Amino acid sequence: MLSNLLPLGTRDEFGRRAATKQQLISVIQAHFKQRGLAPIATPLLENQAVFTPYQMGNYQYYRLLDPEGQTLVLRPDLTLPIARFLSATKVPLPQKFGYVGDIFRVSRRLSGSYNQITQAGIELIGYASLKAELECLTIANQLSSELIDDAVEIELGDAQFAQQVVASLTPDQAQQTAIKQALFNKKVPQYDALIAAYQDEPLFDFLKNWPRLFGQPTAIFKQLAAAPLPVSVQPAIERLKAVVTWMAQTMPNQAVSIDLSSQAPQKYYTGLTFRGYSQAGAGYLFSGGRYDQLLANFQAKSEPAVGMGLDVDLLTELALTQAPATPRQLIYFEPRQWSQAEKLLAKSTQGQLSLAPDLQAARAEAAALGAQLIDLTEGDENE
Amino acid sequence: MSETRLKIALTKGRVEQQVLPLLEQAGVDCDLIRHKERRLIFEAPTQPYEFILAKGPDVTTFLERGAADIGIVGSDILVEHRSTQYELLDLGVGKCQFILASTADFDPAAPKRKIIGTKYPLITKRYFDRLGQDVEIIKIEGSVELAPLTGLADAIVDITETGTTLRENQLQIYDYLQPVSTRLVVNRLALKQHQSAIYELVDRLAAVVQTDAEKEIMQ
Repeated sequence: MLSNLLPLGTRDEFGRRAATKQQLISVIQAHFKQRGLAPIATPLLENQAVFTPYQMGNYQYYRLLDPEGQTLVLRPDLTLPIARFLSATKVPLPQKFGYVGDIFRVSRRLSGSYNQITQAGIELIGYASLKAELECLTIANQLSSELIDDAVEIELGDAQFAQQVVASLTPDQAQQTAIKQALFNKKVPQYDALIAAYQDEPLFDFLKNWPRLFGQPTAIFKQLAAAPLPVSVQPAIERLKAVVTWMAQTMPNQAVSIDLSSQAPQKYYTGLTFRGYSQAGAGYLFSGGRYDQLLANFQAKSEPAVGMGLDVDLLTELALTQAPATPRQLIYFEPRQWSQAEKLLAKSTQGQLSLAPDLQAARAEAAALGAQLIDLTEGDENE
Repeated sequence: MSETRLKIALTKGRVEQQVLPLLEQAGVDCDLIRHKERRLIFEAPTQPYEFILAKGPDVTTFLERGAADIGIVGSDILVEHRSTQYELLDLGVGKCQFILASTADFDPAAPKRKIIGTKYPLITKRYFDRLGQDVEIIKIEGSVELAPLTGLADAIVDITETGTTLRENQLQIYDYLQPVSTRLVVNRLALKQHQSAIYELVDRLAAVVQTDAEKEIMQ
C-alpha cells in the first residue's frame, strides 16, 4: 500500500478553501467573544459511553481501544462532551460556551461524504427562560448575514409536538413510534397505511395533512387552529407564536418558517428547535434547540440548556461559490527594499513576499502560484 | 433562487419505461428522454425539470448528496441502500415481491446454519433476524437462481414479478417477504427549498396513479 494515501472520507485542506474556512472561523470566534461566550475545547477522544444518548443514524463511530481495553471513540458530537465536562467538574451554572472543533462520523463507504466535519457551536447551560432560545436565534441571524451572501431561512419546530399528538391517538407505544417514524421520514405510503386505523377520529383530517405541516408561519398556525389537537400541545404552539412575533419585531428581514412534521436533530432535544438553510446549500447550515435533560445522562440533577451547532464546512462551500477568487500578489524586491515591500504587504489582502533570489525565479514562482507579480526592482536605478 | 429547476434522477431501464407514461400523463414533457440516444442528462426546454438517467443504487447516492432533488427508484433499492430521504409517493408500477426460494429438497426448518445467496444482504439479514435465525449470507451480483442449483447456497432471497424465472429453474417459493414497487423519493432539504414545485408534481402524479389504480379495479 502506498504510504501517501489518505484514509477514506478524509481530505487535506489548503489554498483558497483553507483560507476561506479559517476566515469564517475567525469571524465566528470573534462573534462568540464579543457576546461573552467562554471558549471551551474538549478532547477528540472520549469514552463511548458519553455518546449513549446520541443517535448515529446511518453513521458509525471511529472506535479504538485504550491500553486497558476500554473502547474510545472519536467524538461524533460536541454537545455531549460539554455535558460530560459540566457533570464531572461541577462548574457553577449558568454558563455560556462557544467552541469550534472537529467531529467524526463514518458515513457510507464511497458515498462522497467526508467523515471529519468542522462544527462551531454555542451552549447556554443553566438558562430556563425563552431568552436563551432568543439569544441563539439572534446569533444565528447575525452570523448568517456576516458569513454568507445568500438569504438564510430559519425553520422553527418543537421536539415534543409529534409525541404529544400520537400519544393522544393511542396508548400503544409501538404504534406511536411507527407513526412518528413514518411521519419524520415522510414515508408517505407507509404513513397513510398506519393512520387509516384512525379515519373515524376527529383528528383524521389533521393526520392526513401532517406530513405537509411545514411552511410559512401564518399558514401553519391557521392549520393548527382548525385542528382538534390535544391540550398538551398548546404550550408549544403558544411558544412558537411568541418566537415568530418576536423575530418579526427584532429581525424583520429574517425569513422564518415552521416545521412540525420533522424529527428534532437529536433525541435529547426537549423543546423549541430551529434549523437554518439557504437556497443554494446542500444541507442545514445550523441547527439547535432546547435540551433540558442533557445533563441527566451523567448526573441525577438535570439542568436547562439551549445550544446550536453550525456546519463550518458547508458554510465554507457556500462562501467559496459566492466570492470570486481574488488573485494573489507576489512582491519581488531586493533585500535593501525590505521596508518598502513590508509597507506594500501591509496594504495588500492577498499579498506575500517573494523569497526568490532573482527576477526570473520570481516570475516562475508567480506562475506556479497563479499570482500577479509586483516587481519593486522595476525601474530601480540601482538595479 | 429565481428559477426552480427540479433535478429528477430516474432509474434507467425498466423503471424508466414504466414511469415515462405516468410522467407524460401528469403533463411532464418526456420527449427528449424518449429520443435520448446515448445521452444521460436532459433539460426540459419548456418545463422546470432536468432529468438524470442513472442506475437505481446511484439514484439513491445522487439524492443523499443533494445532486438530485427527486429520485424515482424501486423500494428494494431504497431499503437495501438505507435511504434516509423522503418517500412521498408509491407510483404503483414495478410491482414485485421479495421471496425466499430454493430447490424442492430445501428444508426451511432444518437444524443448521443456512447459507443464503442474494443481491440484497441487508434485507436478507433483517428477514432472518426477525425469524431469530443466524444465516451465512453470500452476496451475488446477478442470476441469483444459480446459487441453490449449483450448491453455492441452500436458498436465495430475491425479487420476483411473476415467478416464471424461478419455475423455469425448478425453484419454489418457501416464504414471501415485503412487496416492492417504484417510489418517488425527495431529498430532505430540497423539499424545503422547492416545496410548492415538488408538491405540485407529486400531486399531479398521485392523481394519475390513483386513476390508473381505479381503472385496474374496474377491469
